Amino acid sequence: MTKYIIRRLLAAIPVLFGLSIILFAFIHLLPGDPAVALLGQHATPELTAEIRAQLGLDQPLWQQYLAYLGQLLHGDLGKSIITNRPIIDEFLLRFPGTVELTVGALIFAVGLGIPLGRYAARHVQGFGDGMVTVISLLGISIPIFVLGLTLQYIFAVQLKWLPASGRLDPRIAIEYHTNFVLIDTLLDGNIPAFFNGLSHLILPAIALGSIPLAIITRITRASVLDVTNEDYVRTARAKGLSERRVGGRHIMRNAWLPVVTVIGLQVGGLLAGAVITETIFSWNGVGRWTVQAIQDHDYFVVQSIILIFALIFLVVNLVVDIGYAFINPRIRYA
Amino acid sequence: MVKNRLLAAGAVLAMVVMACSSSATPSPAPASAAPATQAPASQAPASMAPATVAPATVAPSATAAAGTPKDGGTLVVALPGDMVLADPTLTSDSNSSYVQQNVIQSLVGLKPGTLDTVIPVLAESLPTVSADGLTYTFKIRQGVTFHDGTPLDAAAVVYNYQRQKDMPKSLQDAYNYYFGVVFGGFGDKSNLKSITAPDASTVVMTLGTPQSTFLLTQILPQFGIQSPTALKAGDSSNPDPSKSPYAQGQGGLGKSMVGTGPFMFKEWVPNDHVTIVKNPTYFDPAGMAHLDAITYRPMSDTTARLNALQAGDVDFTQQIAPNDVATAQADSTLQVYDRGSSCNILNLGLNHSVKPFDNLQLRQAIAYALNRQSYVDAFYSGQAIMADNWMPPGFFSYKALGLPTFDLAKAKSLVAASGVPADQLNLTLWYPSNVTRPYMPDPKGEAEAVARDLEAAGFKITFKTEPWATYIPDFQSGKLPMFLSGWTCDWAAPDNFLIAWAFGFQGGKPNAQFNYGPPELKTAFDTAMAASTDAAAATAWGQAQDILAKDLPTVPLVSSKNAAAAKADVMGFVPAGNLTELMNTVWLNR
Repeated sequence: MTKYIIRRLLAAIPVLFGLSIILFAFIHLLPGDPAVALLGQHATPELTAEIRAQLGLDQPLWQQYLAYLGQLLHGDLGKSIITNRPIIDEFLLRFPGTVELTVGALIFAVGLGIPLGRYAARHVQGFGDGMVTVISLLGISIPIFVLGLTLQYIFAVQLKWLPASGRLDPRIAIEYHTNFVLIDTLLDGNIPAFFNGLSHLILPAIALGSIPLAIITRITRASVLDVTNEDYVRTARAKGLSERRVGGRHIMRNAWLPVVTVIGLQVGGLLAGAVITETIFSWNGVGRWTVQAIQDHDYFVVQSIILIFALIFLVVNLVVDIGYAFINPRIRYA
Repeated sequence: MVKNRLLAAGAVLAMVVMACSSSATPSPAPASAAPATQAPASQAPASMAPATVAPATVAPSATAAAGTPKDGGTLVVALPGDMVLADPTLTSDSNSSYVQQNVIQSLVGLKPGTLDTVIPVLAESLPTVSADGLTYTFKIRQGVTFHDGTPLDAAAVVYNYQRQKDMPKSLQDAYNYYFGVVFGGFGDKSNLKSITAPDASTVVMTLGTPQSTFLLTQILPQFGIQSPTALKAGDSSNPDPSKSPYAQGQGGLGKSMVGTGPFMFKEWVPNDHVTIVKNPTYFDPAGMAHLDAITYRPMSDTTARLNALQAGDVDFTQQIAPNDVATAQADSTLQVYDRGSSCNILNLGLNHSVKPFDNLQLRQAIAYALNRQSYVDAFYSGQAIMADNWMPPGFFSYKALGLPTFDLAKAKSLVAASGVPADQLNLTLWYPSNVTRPYMPDPKGEAEAVARDLEAAGFKITFKTEPWATYIPDFQSGKLPMFLSGWTCDWAAPDNFLIAWAFGFQGGKPNAQFNYGPPELKTAFDTAMAASTDAAAATAWGQAQDILAKDLPTVPLVSSKNAAAAKADVMGFVPAGNLTELMNTVWLNR
């Protein structure tokens, strides 16, 4: 198993290397100029040239790439063009926000999707199944920004049940230790602030989790249906096992595999979706930062964020693959 | 797998583009931090009125709500973007200035609520100016201390200006934009030849050549006076601002953003919030803040901003999209502030080095063909006015020029009279593809409206577009024949629009973007800038405007308004079209 993990990690290196080249080329092919973004309406040709030189953007592309790669190999992601702060510092400041949101969305999607899928499979072709199908079709077809703004309008603006934006009411002052609002408030025993943070998480987590919810529901339903028709399930029922035991031990145990794969794949989608969700809900995370960096032509930031996201995606895939071995003992990696 | 990931990356980018297109106020901010409507007669030098010791900050204005202000509470303000750095001398964007101006004060400021008067702030009175317009002598207000306890004196003022003049190369231009542009450069190149403190309460500034708009530029937060103790301790002039704790806003109160204002800096969590708190020992009791604290939150999405205001997440939003104004007005829990005359211009640029734009009658035909009121209605929800000059109304020496308004028949007859051959009536119209500006909320739609009007007058229009970041250098270098562009004020004197933006001369040659500039225009500009009295400056600016009206080099289209909105219980706010809005008068009626 250890050998397998090491091999997978080593295999990730050429992938990331290739990606760094493609990303670099991709971003430099985009029209636009960070110097102009920095100067705005004051971007005279002379000033622009001066700033391009300061940023090293007047060098040939291959030289810029080698410099970038050299930095990367030293574990240095470089600096933001706009704020001039080290990218890794800015990333670590914002990443907890994205993790909090993504985990919230996953809990929503998995926590609701699996029971819904099981329910639909048990009542296949019935009214309940139809309702679940409608919900999942809606979930997958409504764009996040439409759902997000609609949720805001209904639950924040009209009903005033939940806040519309941010991670915490700005009037509440808390001490940041880990930059996870929910963890930091608990560490300080600040329960009202914890619940305030939680209430801020609900709408964005639902908006972000809607597509994974739909997918997980459909996959769970299909997978459970598949397994339900297997001989061993019929045998289990024939020998008089309780429906609860058949469901838990014989059906779900075997239906898990595709569901877990899909959950793993959703992480990539969630990180991409966070870009929009965080912008709509003014959520201080990496996603909103990405939008800002693209608008500002902050090449180095965009490059680094996508590279880190790719790394996260690779690691999550690996974790999912390892997870298989625990769910299905027949799978062995060597 | 690589393919999948690329697809994912592509998807992220695609979604980002969608997300961006919904944002009405794009990021990198041109500064609109300066005066808007201005008749700064006083600015000009010699004939200055005798020093009046006006209160440094804000007397409650006519717009302040009736009732006795209540002290206390925190105001949550939504800004279109985050502060960039905590040191105003290193920023030139409106988001940073909007926060900093409440904390850091300059020698002079604008009288709140009136917008047309420069008043002394950290200066005890307006400066005396020598007859040649070169020497400004300021008396510094006594008994004022910075938020870290350092006393304000003439040496502190000198330190601040000298620090900017001597900025390391890497901090010039992209960071310290305004010192360079106001004084024409840094170090020996600067028109600020010397700044000295003959005694503890006197500062003397000497210019190389007269700058009749000098005093007006000094109201910018970028010329704010900060505590020399804190600037030094926070390594504020480090050539790399990421290594300067002062610029990074680290350490909180008394360590960063240390000024003399009614509010003091407390903390900045980048991309999340900036908090400033009441200065309980503010030197001017009449200007003492009512609020305990203000928290500024960056919110780029305009719809999300309105939702947050309606939901009560924020109390005040510095900008509201034109098409949200009606919604906010209909909501009894909200109030909308019309900032009155705005501080920007949208312009149809015409490059005179390209035929047929060198033809006056044809340019007039274009101007008569454009139904500009229809643009105000369609794209700004009425939140704009038709432009009648190349600068917004209310500027010093502004003249209503009576520029052509929509008259299709006249347009057609002028096209015929111009004698321009038919093939030259095929025009290419450029607009930026990936951006909206406050003065240009829908570039593509506005380009289409302009084209529709021009085609009705007999032109044939082809569209071209490119992203903002290549668009700006392309029009500035004269590559675009006809294009939409605009300008947001830096300061409210004519030179900021007529020279810095539009028709300035470089090395005796006119700006490449329009390639227009008769010698008499240059003479008028030079005379206006060197004038040592207001009257002389106004005369010269008037001549410049008359020349422009006669030649109609481009077609100014509209000035957009820039409304703000707040919860109904936010009281005492004094709006200003240039965003020089101080929050010390604001209180919460709750």
